[in-house]
Amino acid sequence: MFGCSPAAGSAVESGLAKISCCGYVLLYPILIPLLLGTLCLFIPKRMRYASELLSICTSLATLIITICLFTIRPWAFIWRAYPLLNLDNLSSFIMVAIAAFGFLVTLYSVGFMKGRLHLNQYYTYLLWTIGASVGAVLANNLILFLAFWGFLAITLYLMINLQEGEGVSEVAKKALIIIGGSDAVIIFGIALIWRIAHSFDMNAINIVINSKLSAAAYLSLAIGAFAKAGAMPLHTWVPDTSEKAPLPVAAFLPASLDKLLGIYFLVRISTDIFKLNVAMQTFLMALGSFTIIAAVMMALVQHNYKRLLGYHAVSQVGYMILGIGTGTAIGIAGGLFHMLNNAIYKCCLFFAGGAVEKERHTTELDQLGGLARFMPITFVTCLVSALAISGVPPLNGFASKWMIYQGVIELGKGGGRLWVIWLVAAMFGSALTLASFMKLIHATFLGQPSSDKRVSEVGPAMWVPMVILAAASLLFGIFVYKLPLKFLINPAVEGVRLSGLWSAGTATILIIVGIAIGFIIYLLGNLKGLRRDPHAYTGGEILPDEARVTGVEFYKNVKEMQPFATLYKLAEKKVFDIYDILKGILSYFTGLFRALHTGILLTYITWVLFGILVLLWIFMR
Amino acid sequence: MKTIVQFLIFPGFLFTAVVGLIASWIDRKVTARVQWRVGPPWYQPFVDMVKLLGKETIIPKGTSAVTFLTAPLVGLASVTLISMLLWLTLLNPGKGFIGDLIVVLYLSVIPAVSIIIGGFASRNPLASLGASREMKLVLGYELPFVLALLVPVIKAGGSIRLDEIVASQMATGATATSLSGVLALIVAIMCMQAKLTLVPFDLPEAETELMGGAYIEYSGPPLAVYKLTKHMFMFALPIFLVMTFMGGFGPSPISLILGLLKYVALLVIIVLIRNTNPRVRIDQAVRFFWGPMTLFAIVAVALAFLGW
Repeated sequence: MFGCSPAAGSAVESGLAKISCCGYVLLYPILIPLLLGTLCLFIPKRMRYASELLSICTSLATLIITICLFTIRPWAFIWRAYPLLNLDNLSSFIMVAIAAFGFLVTLYSVGFMKGRLHLNQYYTYLLWTIGASVGAVLANNLILFLAFWGFLAITLYLMINLQEGEGVSEVAKKALIIIGGSDAVIIFGIALIWRIAHSFDMNAINIVINSKLSAAAYLSLAIGAFAKAGAMPLHTWVPDTSEKAPLPVAAFLPASLDKLLGIYFLVRISTDIFKLNVAMQTFLMALGSFTIIAAVMMALVQHNYKRLLGYHAVSQVGYMILGIGTGTAIGIAGGLFHMLNNAIYKCCLFFAGGAVEKERHTTELDQLGGLARFMPITFVTCLVSALAISGVPPLNGFASKWMIYQGVIELGKGGGRLWVIWLVAAMFGSALTLASFMKLIHATFLGQPSSDKRVSEVGPAMWVPMVILAAASLLFGIFVYKLPLKFLINPAVEGVRLSGLWSAGTATILIIVGIAIGFIIYLLGNLKGLRRDPHAYTGGEILPDEARVTGVEFYKNVKEMQPFATLYKLAEKKVFDIYDILKGILSYFTGLFRALHTGILLTYITWVLFGILVLLWIFMR
Repeated sequence: MKTIVQFLIFPGFLFTAVVGLIASWIDRKVTARVQWRVGPPWYQPFVDMVKLLGKETIIPKGTSAVTFLTAPLVGLASVTLISMLLWLTLLNPGKGFIGDLIVVLYLSVIPAVSIIIGGFASRNPLASLGASREMKLVLGYELPFVLALLVPVIKAGGSIRLDEIVASQMATGATATSLSGVLALIVAIMCMQAKLTLVPFDLPEAETELMGGAYIEYSGPPLAVYKLTKHMFMFALPIFLVMTFMGGFGPSPISLILGLLKYVALLVIIVLIRNTNPRVRIDQAVRFFWGPMTLFAIVAVALAFLGW
């Protein structure tokens, strides 16, 4: 169905002789960042500019190379009859997206990370991450894929640890354990695949899920994808990492890159390596719907800008999984498109949070407010992204959600009743998303400021990436068919029929005309009477400073409503955190063993004697 | 170009604004009759608009003036777009596109967003509270509203095209003639009441407690735009329900008159609800929508699946 369909597959095989000599170009976007990143490690700390310049140049070069490669797809790198790397329609656009986000994050880091320690290490890890991600996406061999994939968990661990502060190493450990643990499950899945198909080449494997063995193999690989993308219940590292990691790392890994990789892998296994059955599809859609609602409900009550975004990073994965789970062409295309869109606006939202953090030195929502006047660029980009993630037309988030809904409804036409649940969950999820972002916008940029201290807009190295991403949100929404769908998504999914569509371009023009009508009404009115009154109207009294609505408690009513009150309380106790559950089980058993280690020699000797007696009894029997 | 003219005059801005203002007159007149008053003459809403345009615009100090002034305009633009989409579909059967139902549903949230952003940008605690109530109200009604709208979708064989939904109702009878349709329509009317922020769901404005809430700092032309948007929405939203639940109408004169009668019937229901109920608290409102209304809507969807 995807790139490894007979057409592309035969190109790999027939082009064996032709391509094998020049397939090495596929190694460039992997090796260049890996090698130059290593070089970065050896740049002395005093030469900060050198490491910044080197990493910007490297990430830009990678981006240019990937764009060049994008134009020559399909392509393959075959080494001694092993098709190691494969560039098809699916992997090529994700590769470009990785390189693009890599470049933007590097650029942003130059502005954000100024004055921090261990900068050369930071840039090294960043470049390694880009290289390994490109490798993971291009890899056609499952073992090679696993190597790159596992490497990414380590760079994430290292990058989180670069932040200074309380609880950071704990968070890094948690991320490493959850992702690393799921990698172990992937190994198990790959072993099962070998048993079923006797091959490690993704393009050669095509398994129909009809037995317990194949279902187990699929689920093992899917768990890896879920942990990476942050789907429930393996999501718990995402909010923690978002809050504690250095901001560009949060914007790069959990917000954009891990979504690209996780969803890429899920699409790869769901459409290419395996053929899903109805039960698996239902499982995916149920998981997706649950993730949407549960994560966004958590986001609703958060007090920290970055943590709130972290929960949204989880919630949005639900939409992608839901789209892929429909199994319809338009649903899968919608899921992929949503993945790309989510990476764009989520990255931008994190960047805006970084700009706020840079100026105000905090991301606690109750200590912010009224920043829109001082940071207009940050405010506008953040608002555009917030509306995009809430699915407000004509922005890109609406376009992809609309495709996913259509996939769900198309599925419903084939029979079954469950599609109603998925559809309602997805649609209601966007209302909840809107709610939590309105809270965020109010608490950060609008409302009353927490202090009268003036702040200024951040420098161009930070606002340029934000503007690029916000513009991409607009463009991908308005020119949805001409740009992203035509060049990126539709080639990757076979059989997407789009007919009688909503014309986002016309709608945008009309909305602009509508706003113009409003301006004319303003002009008709008494414009000379414009007056800036000194104080807000509060019944004729001047507002005291402490009478401030921060917005943090906007949804307190919802939080106190049953059954949510109980659920929130349990969630605060981390009852639903799979990491803490496992930790609890583990510490229970260690506690048992610890109880035996009393330090009294007599007890030990008794046990040893008892053991010898048991052994004797066994052997002498 | 033709589209822009349609957008500006008919069935877009001018048409919707005029009918919307007349609808607001009907509202005021019926309210007055319920309260044993005479009520204003028919041109009163137009005069009010002109008066507001003549007043000065006050922008609170320390706010982002651009946000404060732009927020009302976005709502106006989206309501105009909704009205245009609906009327073009009604007047040219077969001219819809896949998923226009979802587009209208999503566009109809934008007026609320515009009020919320405007309220937030006012730098006033009362406005912030009002706007947050508006947001919670959206949270409340969105769930039952989506569920209720699924009933016509299921009745039309899973179509999310408005023209197909209207056509299937013309063929087999309006959605509201079936049991599930009646239930869903009741839910949808309640949601509409909240979407229009009319009593008992006028919490975002709540004159007696929040002194206008989200609108508190608005004056002159921007306030006029908000009022106009609200009146226009009072025209566009019932038309949406007429299309999805009450059989819609076509371009022929008789059908048009029938359609307008259906609209007026809905409008009178709205006005009567608003005049016979006290304002509820926000937690009561959310509970009402997430509790009984959602339950009603789920029952309606289940009945629709069973073919009732």
